[in-house]
Amino acid sequence: MSASTSHDHHDHHEPNFLQKYVFSTDHKTIGIQYGVTALLFIALGFYLMMVMRWSIAYPHEPLPEWMSWVFTEEWRGRWLQDGKVTGETYNMFGAMHGTIMVFLGVVPLGFGAFGNYVMPLQIGAPDMAFPKLNMMSFWLYFVGGAMMVASFFLESGAAKSGWTNYPPLAQIADSQFVNQLFTGQTQWLLGMVFLISSSLLGSVNVIVTMVNLRAPGLTWFRMPFFCWAMLVIAFLLLLAFPPLEVAAIMQVMDRLTGSSFFMPSGLYTASAGALDVSGGGSPLLYQHLFWFLGHPEVYVLLLPAIACVAEIIPTNTRKPLWGYKSMVWGVMVLGFLSFIVWAHHMYLTGMGPMVSSFFQVTTVLISVPSVILLTSLLISLWGGSIRFNQPMMWAVAFIPMFGIGGLTGLPLAFNLADLHLHDTYYVIGHFHYVVAPGILFGLFAGIYHWYPKATGRHMNNFLGHLHFWPSLIFINLVFFPMLIQGMAGFHRRWYNGGDAYLEKAADGVNVFGLTVLEKIDLNILMSTSAWFLAAAQIPFIVNFFTSWKTGKKVENDNPYDATTLEWATPTPPGHGNFETLPEVYRGPYEYSRPDHDEDYYPQWHEPAVAKKEETADL
Amino acid sequence: MNEKILDEIPYIVNPRKDTGLFNSKIGIWLFLASEVMLFGGLFSGYIFLRVYADYPWPERVLPILPGLVNTFILIASSVTVVFAWAMLKLGKWNMFRLFMGITIACAAIFMGFKVVEYKAKFEHQGVRLADYTILEGHLHAADVDSHGHIVHDSHGHDAHGEGHDAHKGHDDHGNKEATTVHTSVNNIIFDAKKLTFDLTKVDEKYLETILEQAATHDAKVTFSKDVFSQSEPGVKPVKIISAGDELSYEKLIAAKEAFVAARTHNAAERTAELRRLWKESKAENEGVAGWKQAQDIAIDTDKLALVPAKSSISATVEPHISFVFAPQKVKSYNASSLTRKDGTMVVGSLQKSPMELGIDAVDFTFLVQQAEEMGIDPDDAVEKAWILSHSPAVKAAWEEHKKHVAAIDEAYFQEALKKTDGDEEKAREIANHVPEVEKYRMTWKDLVRYGSHGEINLQWYDGFKGANHKNEEWAAHFPDISIPREQIAFESKFTPRWNNYYAIYFTITGLHGLHIIGGAIVLGYYMFCPNMFRKNPTWLANRVEVAGLFWHFVDLVWIFLFPILYLM
Repeated sequence: MSASTSHDHHDHHEPNFLQKYVFSTDHKTIGIQYGVTALLFIALGFYLMMVMRWSIAYPHEPLPEWMSWVFTEEWRGRWLQDGKVTGETYNMFGAMHGTIMVFLGVVPLGFGAFGNYVMPLQIGAPDMAFPKLNMMSFWLYFVGGAMMVASFFLESGAAKSGWTNYPPLAQIADSQFVNQLFTGQTQWLLGMVFLISSSLLGSVNVIVTMVNLRAPGLTWFRMPFFCWAMLVIAFLLLLAFPPLEVAAIMQVMDRLTGSSFFMPSGLYTASAGALDVSGGGSPLLYQHLFWFLGHPEVYVLLLPAIACVAEIIPTNTRKPLWGYKSMVWGVMVLGFLSFIVWAHHMYLTGMGPMVSSFFQVTTVLISVPSVILLTSLLISLWGGSIRFNQPMMWAVAFIPMFGIGGLTGLPLAFNLADLHLHDTYYVIGHFHYVVAPGILFGLFAGIYHWYPKATGRHMNNFLGHLHFWPSLIFINLVFFPMLIQGMAGFHRRWYNGGDAYLEKAADGVNVFGLTVLEKIDLNILMSTSAWFLAAAQIPFIVNFFTSWKTGKKVENDNPYDATTLEWATPTPPGHGNFETLPEVYRGPYEYSRPDHDEDYYPQWHEPAVAKKEETADL
Repeated sequence: MNEKILDEIPYIVNPRKDTGLFNSKIGIWLFLASEVMLFGGLFSGYIFLRVYADYPWPERVLPILPGLVNTFILIASSVTVVFAWAMLKLGKWNMFRLFMGITIACAAIFMGFKVVEYKAKFEHQGVRLADYTILEGHLHAADVDSHGHIVHDSHGHDAHGEGHDAHKGHDDHGNKEATTVHTSVNNIIFDAKKLTFDLTKVDEKYLETILEQAATHDAKVTFSKDVFSQSEPGVKPVKIISAGDELSYEKLIAAKEAFVAARTHNAAERTAELRRLWKESKAENEGVAGWKQAQDIAIDTDKLALVPAKSSISATVEPHISFVFAPQKVKSYNASSLTRKDGTMVVGSLQKSPMELGIDAVDFTFLVQQAEEMGIDPDDAVEKAWILSHSPAVKAAWEEHKKHVAAIDEAYFQEALKKTDGDEEKAREIANHVPEVEKYRMTWKDLVRYGSHGEINLQWYDGFKGANHKNEEWAAHFPDISIPREQIAFESKFTPRWNNYYAIYFTITGLHGLHIIGGAIVLGYYMFCPNMFRKNPTWLANRVEVAGLFWHFVDLVWIFLFPILYLM
């Protein structure tokens, strides 16, 4: 198409405030919208966790005023008992903590924010392929999240059946209310349908952009690893999320039309008696549909963090990424395998040894590509002249933290060990090591790394240290004791932290020879660490919002002397990103090339002996 | 390429050279991949539910003809959408509109058939009896008087006339029968003396059915006790309801607000007290574990300034009348009390609450399955079925049916005998048998055939919508029965609630229908874009191509849906 016809469709009018900042179609604005919204959701998820941790450490004491002031008096009268957290409220907060952190916090931050902001810049695209869909994707996410959070204020409260929402428990919950549409459980499901539609639009957009909008010369294997990771994530979201949408729709049908998709025959509960449903459904079906998403979702959470770290390490070691190609193949194998490991979450359902063995084998297999990724990052540090700036500290901390998370997962992959550890704090410790000190550290690294590009200013170094070191210490004090408690048999759903257990069987010893009595005091250490961890985030919040206006200005468009295309844009990039269409001449990590004077050779720099005439005609 | 304006998205109209695709084409293929996973999930759900069903999965229960016609209509529309695209490529705007118009019309006809099919299901009643016999049919309508008696007068029930139109709700039947409630006969009828409302769950619609029925029968529902509002001690309580006030939604809401205010106050008081106790305890018992300290901490409520908070409120009905409650809105009941789903408890006495049904199908397959699991001979179990001893008409039809099945079995046997040269034993082994689904199930066609002794000859096109009670000739052979409430184990219209076959049927076809509507809106929209055609016909053709691909996918889904839901 010639430029003249496309001109007819494009009026160069100045966008007004709403179009520019709220209903923007610019991928960078949408990326920032995603990022800020996700960080707010993470803060909310963190708060819910603090209330839960209070209940675990001090189950008999009223919630302290510094924590309960956010609630209205009426809300406290409804949901707290003499100021104490009740089991029901704990369940509600637990379910929403998980949901918010996974679906509203980390995925939108990793894929929504970084995928949107950085990926098109790195491939030299003017924007995403479908900017309007991109905007819709953000707003669907926003509405879905708002629905879920608003349900806290319904008569029924928010969803309260775990972040996995297993039936039949999830379906009996809130079933006492007349208007089923406006119950927390139903709103959770409908919110989920919105979120899934949002990631569907996002993932289609990302893949199309990467296939069709790469800059001239940017062949597949000249793409930074970051983009490869985003591509794999997009495929995971595209293909793994629909089955969960099916599960959500089916559960909505069960709630609103009285069908029995997930209700077995002859179900009886103490409160409702024999349930007046046709029965004949299968709760196991829900678990399969849920975990078919649930496991790929783990990699949707993880890969953005690895992607950020994989960009930051070469930049700050001034060395090429070690094993770039093995990492690319590794991430693809990882993406594929993640579709066939889901039932390792379901060993306890009695699927039978054949099925369990199959999933055990695939689960062990998937650790191979994971180890390739992590080892490549680790070896990339070797022999580098490392610049320990803010992003690099987080990136380097990511490696051992994620390592602990990954290695503690190995016993859970095996059926035999998992039977003992299932639903204990060991599992909680394991996946929180992956997600919190692992993934969140990686994403913090990303925020510190690209902040100067997005705002034109550096974040404050002192506040950065004040954020990093306490976070590193306290996050380990929160999560490491969980691994020990888990082996003592602490169950993940004890809303009073094992307290009720003490009165009945204080000396009960489980298979690992540890007792609840010995380890219960760790609750206080962990909870206190959680409060300090919260305090450690204050420097970040201050830093994030004040550096925008007062931070040290960046001196040039490429402050880190990096090689990838996002640093070829003006700072911050304007609409359309690049001033001239970039062209790519080499791979993404050309640092310290012996035949080059500078220690970096950006992808967009023309070679010295360029055939200038030829390329100008393109 | 360099002269292109940089904030234009490239490859919207023309394909990129190395990939050979324009953006939206990649986009739609990815979207369809996701759709494959969506419908794949649903189909897997279908397989899972069917394979693990612990009840006889309904087979071939939908009228095939409308589904078949719909299949061809959808295939035709897939062809015309390609023609429409081709016409656009040839630059023929009017021909494009013609073919696109046909496509949209096909979509409309398809949805029309779906509406007819759905409506028939929503009117069809199913009952599972206590002995696992399944009856299908249409509910009769009748009038219920203030004593809970069902009045069969000229207005209400006549054999197969208007009574088959199930009226939901409670139509007041004018002056002539001012004290009866007209309703379909499937209700729990309960003589009420006292009502107790759960203030946390007051629901306006639930309350309305009570108020309306009380008004119809000229009964007064009045609060039994005074209710005061007091949010703090020391403040004089305000009377918001006096004993004898008439029940109303506003009053209940006022009582609810009073309760919430009192609860809020009390919670704050108790929380403050508990904080104080812990402070003291911690000062005294330093180093003692929290759970041990907790054993000695208890709030002494006498010392606190609490206000009364009651979450329920009662009302009396004078004179006693019988209320008609839809069973779906009742949570539980016994002879002397009933709880509705909004928490309203009714104290009184349960009246006879039969279901009056015009039967159009009798299905013993579930009963047979249960009998086999318990090791009982299935044929014996069927003979003892409640329905056979309580409905002579069903019994007669069943005898006919057995003869019919025996005749077919005998024919199979004779056929086999020819192959085995008269060896009876061998013939018995290889002879076909009537499958259980047909052996233990009488459809509406069977009932008509047996009832009319073969006089009514049903054609292949009869029953486009299934059993039709408005056709008096057929309906004369649908036996009527009054089923006592205690015989009913489960009942429902043919909605997703009835069983998982219908649940998955409505879910998949409903989602498919939404896809049809969405696709038709997008495709139809392009018919009204002559400007786009004039300015950039290639772009418009791209869009139609992409939407057309979606349309083919929707068609493909139906091609899978039709056999699994209609034929298997």
